[in-house]
This record gives sequence, C-alpha cells and structure tokens, in this order.
Amino acid sequence: MRLSALLALAAKANLPHNYRYGMSRPGSMADKRRNPPWKRQRPVLVEPIPEDSWNVFCGDTVEILEGKDAGKQGKVVQIIRERNWVVLEGLNTHFRYIGRSKDYRGTMIPSEAPLLFRQVKLVDPTDRKPTEVEWRFTEEGERVRVSLRTGRIIPKPEFPRPDGIIPEQWIDGPKDTSVEDALERTYVPCLKTLGEEVMEAMGIVETRRHRKIYWY
Amino acid sequence: MAAGRLVTLCRGLAAALKVPETLKASLNPAARPGFTSSLLNKNIANITPLHQYKLIHTTLSRKGLEEFFDDPKNWGEETVKSGAAWTCEQLRCKSNEDLHKLWYVLLKERNMLLTLEQEAKRQRLPMPSPERLDKVSESMDALDKVIQERDDALRLLQTGQERPRPGAWRKDIFGRVIWYKYKQWPIPWYLNKRYNRKKFYVMPCVEQFVRLRLEKYLRGEAKRKNLQKKKQKMLQRKFPHMSAEAQN
Repeated sequence: MRLSALLALAAKANLPHNYRYGMSRPGSMADKRRNPPWKRQRPVLVEPIPEDSWNVFCGDTVEILEGKDAGKQGKVVQIIRERNWVVLEGLNTHFRYIGRSKDYRGTMIPSEAPLLFRQVKLVDPTDRKPTEVEWRFTEEGERVRVSLRTGRIIPKPEFPRPDGIIPEQWIDGPKDTSVEDALERTYVPCLKTLGEEVMEAMGIVETRRHRKIYWY
Repeated sequence: MAAGRLVTLCRGLAAALKVPETLKASLNPAARPGFTSSLLNKNIANITPLHQYKLIHTTLSRKGLEEFFDDPKNWGEETVKSGAAWTCEQLRCKSNEDLHKLWYVLLKERNMLLTLEQEAKRQRLPMPSPERLDKVSESMDALDKVIQERDDALRLLQTGQERPRPGAWRKDIFGRVIWYKYKQWPIPWYLNKRYNRKKFYVMPCVEQFVRLRLEKYLRGEAKRKNLQKKKQKMLQRKFPHMSAEAQN
C-alpha cells in the first residue's frame, strides 16, 4: 500500500507555487507554452469567495454589468473557479486568427474573454432582469437559489457533462455493474476482520502456530 | 475435493453477486507473443492455441495471460466506454467477501490498463480512454479506505488502540521528537545488538543545535503569520466590502 501511495504521489503533477491560471487547461500544450516551469510572476490577487456563496453555474443565463458588452445577456459556458472567472458564449469577444500557416493569414474568429464573478449578475427567469440571489432551503430541505426581488427559485441549469455522457441514455457495458447490484446491501456488521471472514467463507484453517515475537 | 468445493462455492457466490467481468467458461486459446501491435491497430492477427496450460483456477475465468489484455472487440478502438468509479458510500454497503472479490477484479482490470498504457507509450500512440485507469485507481483507493475504516472500528472496540502498528514518541539523537514505529524482532531488546546501537537520547553537544532549530522553526512561523497578515491587508484594500464577508 505505501509503495503505491508513493508512486501515486510521484505521478501526480504538482502545479508550481504561484501558478497563474489562464484560459487553457493546466497541463495542455498551450498552458505549457504560456507557463513554463521556470516562470516566476507575482501572484494574481483573487477575491476569496467561499464555496457556499458561489451562485453561477455552467448553463445559467447572466447579464453583464460592465465592460464592452454591458447590458447583454448570455449563457455561461465555462467557469474557472481559481480566478473567479465566468466565460459567456459569444459575448465580450476579441478577434484572433486561427490556422495560420506560412502563406495563409488564417481565419479570423471571435474568442470570448472571461468576466469576473462580480461583473455578471444572474437573470430572473420571470422578468428577465438581473437580480440579487440568495441561497435558501426549500421545505424538502433542498438548497436552492432564490431571487430577492421576485422570490422565484432559479433552478440549477442543465449542462452537458464534460465526458459527453447523457445519464438517461446510458447503457451498461460488459464490465459495468448494474445499478441494482451496485446499490444492493450485502454488509452484515460483525466483530470479524475482513481476513477472518474471508478465511471462514473459503474454508481456510490456519494451522501454523504463532511464534513469540517481540515488538520494539 | 477442496478445488471442487471452491468451484461450486464460487459459482454459487457468483450467481448471487453479478461480477462485473464477463466470465467465459470456454477454454480460450492462449495468445501468441507477437500480437501486441494489434491492441492499438484494427488488423487483428489470427489467434490459434499453441500450448496446453494447467487448470489451477479458483474462479470461473479460464483466460490465463489473456487477462492482461482487453476484450478483442476493443482492440484498435479510439475510445472505450466505461462507467463511473465505485464510491465510498456504495462500497460501505458491501460485505467483506464482496469487497475481497471486487479488489481482485479491479486489480486485474488495473493490470490490463497499465499494460495497455505501456504498450501505447512503446508504440507512441495515445492510450484509448485513459480515464478508465483513474476510475479503477479511485475505486481501489476507496475500497482500501472502507476496509481500513472497518478494521479501525473493530480494533478500537476490541483493544482501544488507535493505530494498527505499535509505536512510541521518542527523542532521536538530534533531539527531535519522532514517532518511532516498532519493528518485529525474534529476540528481546536487551539481547539485540543492532537495536542497542540506536540512540534514543541526546548528547550534551547537541543542545546548542536544538536551540538553533527551535529558533529556525519560530522564525518560520513568524514569517508565515506575517505573510498572512500582509495578504489579508492587501485583500482588504483591493476588495473592501466582500473580503469581510468571506473572512466571517
């Protein structure tokens, strides 16, 4: 066990101390190009927002309060929590060239710049205006976002999973355990260790005698 | 007779608990050694049985070295579908025998994926669906955690000992207080030459260095505390209204 833990520690790539999170995924080629291991920069000041107060999720409709596209509403596509960034689809864009080669100037595409958490506000579905949102509990005990102006519950939006799996359309493969088997409870608590129980079940009888051993 | 009993026991248990892998009871031929290139390419060579092998199996699976390789249908695929990892909550509902069997199933799957990863590295191709290895490792870690919890609970109940391995707080020759883990020896401590050569006491010449080390530690702590204070001040300056909420 300890050896595997050691190997796991070695395999896990640690990001440097004042790593600056960008739009690229850490570990990708673009990120390695932008943040080589010897790069030392002053760390970016990021407002510490506790996990409980984070309101915005992927797929939410939010309105931009400041910036180039102030007043426009858009859908959240990506969230980078480490920098409190929110990326909206098609808004707050600048233009860049893609697929550039020696003779070809490349195609111009609009690329979205991230917005800070404080520069966007959640939109109330009833009147489609930006509102302050609070976390409250329903009568069932579910934690939901409630708009303070109208009191309407803003449900958590549907967003496709990054691995592309749709849970409703999932069919188990040959190596997958079915849902009933996975949730089936077979544990009966008893005062035996796993070793003892398995030995009893397999009919193994320990005939060797324990020699006196000293622990120090 | 014992083997026959084991086989029937395993058959019965396998019927009660559906083991994730497909158990083909047919005698699958052992593979030729030079077929590894077809794991990552679609051109599959014809596999013919070359040699006999001994039937020493405690499970229904009769595959031998083939278990180090994936189902031949998945050879050459770019992605292979796989379900989610086992969570601690799901594993806590399972009995010890089930966990014991699941461990070995997961181990064989992990070996298969590691072989595939190594082969992909050798052929300089991307491994198909590397997240499977992460899922299996996670499941195995969760299983180990659950079993450790159960063992800890039992040990606390029966003996009151928090740790599985005995030990003691001792001072080494450098004056540091360390958790010394006991070892198993065949002879008592007063007869053990090697053990008596270990020094768990401090010589007078070391006291000066103990003081220096303490100073280093205190300076480090003071620096850390100072840094935290400075950071909080900076955050207050940059985010005046919000930082107060976050700190509370």
